[in-house]
Amino acid sequence: MGQLEHQFEENVLTTRIDWLLNWARLNSIWPMTFGLACCAIEMMAVGAAHHDIDRFGAGAFRASPRQADLMIVAGTVNFKMGERVKRLYDQMPSPKYVIAMGACATGGGPYFKFGYTVMKGVDRCVPVDVYIAGCPPRPEALLEGLMKLQEKIRRSSVVRKPARTA
Amino acid sequence: MNFEGIHDRLRVIRVPGLLGADLPRPPIPGEKHGKDKDPGRSGDPFVLVDPQRIVEFLHVCRDEDRLRFEVLVDLTATDPKAEDPNLWIGMNLLSIERRQRLAIKALLPKSELRMPSSTSIYRAAQWHERECAEMFGITFIGHPDPRHILLPDDWVGFPLRKDYVFPKEYHGISCE
Repeated sequence: MGQLEHQFEENVLTTRIDWLLNWARLNSIWPMTFGLACCAIEMMAVGAAHHDIDRFGAGAFRASPRQADLMIVAGTVNFKMGERVKRLYDQMPSPKYVIAMGACATGGGPYFKFGYTVMKGVDRCVPVDVYIAGCPPRPEALLEGLMKLQEKIRRSSVVRKPARTA
Repeated sequence: MNFEGIHDRLRVIRVPGLLGADLPRPPIPGEKHGKDKDPGRSGDPFVLVDPQRIVEFLHVCRDEDRLRFEVLVDLTATDPKAEDPNLWIGMNLLSIERRQRLAIKALLPKSELRMPSSTSIYRAAQWHERECAEMFGITFIGHPDPRHILLPDDWVGFPLRKDYVFPKEYHGISCE
């Protein structure tokens, strides 16, 4: 900003559009109200006063996928539900993010071997940004996953293509 | 009434379909051990019923004055062993008025998985029978709404049977 600094009058702030957009996005990730199993109880604990996901700007749980940015898949996904999860994901506006919370959503969990209707990981029907281990994960783990997602959003860019790594 | 009283009552009124009763017993002490050891039987005492006459049996259990089982607590099936030629149908009845319970079992041969539906006696049997039908492949004759209840409509196979083969994929999603 060196050359542009102090070139304008007061109350004008110069920045990059990427920085501004990412700042806005990562500090207001609105999750979808959406719980499938016991992980949802931990998710509710994260939303409640003690752990308080609102500190990260992600406390506005939206009842409609059309208003949500983040889908926290909290629980076991079976095939019948997986089709619904896919439909909900398709209804979300871009940019949209998915957190696979807990062992079931990451890879089938305890139902891996004999769960005949359980999808072995929600990444088989929607793209997942952050995986969180645990059965169910501690609320702190979900918050860490959210911070990982924020880091990911911070690295993203709308005006320039992301730098290619060799 | 306790179980003996209920069983006696069922015999006295000559309820149709009653085949016998089975009581829990402790293991028989002796020198036998390993595979030959008699493990005894735990659990509830139950009456054994002919599955083809279950409707008449339940009708008496619900309406007879000393029995008065108003509530069907549970209706389920089990496939205990692959080599067992039968499925076990288990039912639990509860009488709130008389404060008594009754466990019922019926043996249904795996070669002929058809039995009459209990829904004409207990409407609570509807969902239970739908679950039994999709999980074990039992056809309940006379069921008013024989759709799947838990599994997707196009599911292949009966998952709780011992001879169930796990699917490789479902709608293009790999199951492995």
